[in-house]
Amino acid sequence: MAPKIFLVLIFLSIGLVAKSQEGALTVISNQRGAPAILKYSELRSILMGEKQRWRNGSKIVIALMKTNTATGKITSEKIYDMSADELNKFWLALVFQGKAPAPAFFNTAAELQNFVSQNPGAIGIVDQLSHSDNLRTIIIDGKSRIL
Amino acid sequence: MKCNSIILIKFRRMYMLMSRRLKYICFVIPIIILLFFSSRTFSQNTQIKGFIDGLVTHEKSKLSFGFGEQDLFIASEINDRLSFLGETVFRYTPSSPTAFSISVERVVIKYNIKDNHNLLIGKHHTPINYWNDTYHHGRVFFPTIERPLLFSKNIIPLHTTGISIQGHDLGNLKFGYDLMVGNGLGSEEIFDNNKSKSLTAAIHIKPVERLRLGASYYVDVISKGSKIHDRVINRKVNQNLITASVAYFGKKLEVLSEGTLSINRTDSTGRKKTLAPYIYTGYKITEKLVPYLRLDNIHYQKGELYYDKDNMTALVAGMRYQLNYLAVIKLEYRYTHSELTGDGNKLTAQFAIGF
Repeated sequence: MAPKIFLVLIFLSIGLVAKSQEGALTVISNQRGAPAILKYSELRSILMGEKQRWRNGSKIVIALMKTNTATGKITSEKIYDMSADELNKFWLALVFQGKAPAPAFFNTAAELQNFVSQNPGAIGIVDQLSHSDNLRTIIIDGKSRIL
Repeated sequence: MKCNSIILIKFRRMYMLMSRRLKYICFVIPIIILLFFSSRTFSQNTQIKGFIDGLVTHEKSKLSFGFGEQDLFIASEINDRLSFLGETVFRYTPSSPTAFSISVERVVIKYNIKDNHNLLIGKHHTPINYWNDTYHHGRVFFPTIERPLLFSKNIIPLHTTGISIQGHDLGNLKFGYDLMVGNGLGSEEIFDNNKSKSLTAAIHIKPVERLRLGASYYVDVISKGSKIHDRVINRKVNQNLITASVAYFGKKLEVLSEGTLSINRTDSTGRKKTLAPYIYTGYKITEKLVPYLRLDNIHYQKGELYYDKDNMTALVAGMRYQLNYLAVIKLEYRYTHSELTGDGNKLTAQFAIGF
């Protein structure tokens, strides 16, 4: 009886962990430019176009999933605190006010990761990092995944 | 003689060969080097967008159809620090032989000096208040159909051709500044019409998310004989503009309030003050639907000569429906009371898009 309860508890905890990771995001960057560790407030400032240069002076290039993708929706809601339309309008306005360069938007995580790996100074948001030599996961407030 | 001619031919051949080599060294190699390095150091990123709006108005018992400005935008990242922004408007102009005119509204070359500090040169929207600094000619961004009265009554200079230093999002308060020197009112796009330069100094802070507080000061000397907005100014005017603004675009509530105090001084009339405030407020019933109100007022001091003195109040009540971020429908009623023309009522529907 005891091993069965033990197994049920294991499955339950796996289920809870999986549920808690649903909608979690990973911040990735090119090996050159971005630091390995960032505060969440710094990350947000970067993604809002407020901070446009890394500490070494190189230009920050933002890569995001399109807002009609699942990761794009989560990014706009959880990081930007905006709806998909609000996020698109926010960036369009910022670009044509001449205040910030436009982020690069992608349909698939593979395209985004490929872009970030090829552009020094690039930072991107994906659901999960698949391995690439020129990419790294940025630790945000001590965590490799953000909710 | 024969020997000499052979030497001459040889010399010519040698010269031609040298000349080819010299051309190769002087022109071809540098071009190859430039192309090689340019392709390695940056990849240009250019975006082109356009904006247009269709209008239906009902005024003085008459229904009219029309369309607004067609706005063409170009934003280009030239390299790591250099960028370009261009905005050109095609608009209906009855006085033009073709009934349309092309107007270059903005040509800005921006150089990033360091971090969030930039040097800008060209024709700018004068960073005098929130509306002029934030919204361009693309109507899809406007919270209302028309601009506030202080724009249509030419209280503030909308554009300045000149040079500026700009900073943004500095420190915890997200402090920003603009310091601009320009040709000033009455000047042409490529020449100043007098020795005086206009000066704009603007600051703003964003103490909390979605809130921006700003203030600015503008000073200029407008020469006698200057032609401004199809009017010839028949005396020298020293102009000082002081502006304050509050902008809050929250998740539900939207508030934008700005006021400009204009002090125009002429030798004959002394200082004359004009006050032009407006307040806009909207409330998001849903993410897409926003009913709104705007109240505008312009009060000129008796004896004002630079502006067309016409004390005016306007009340705007409308509804905005955002189809998506590139398409918006607005329905708006506007009541105006003018010292010179009396009361006016206008109903307007606008469909604004970005493409």
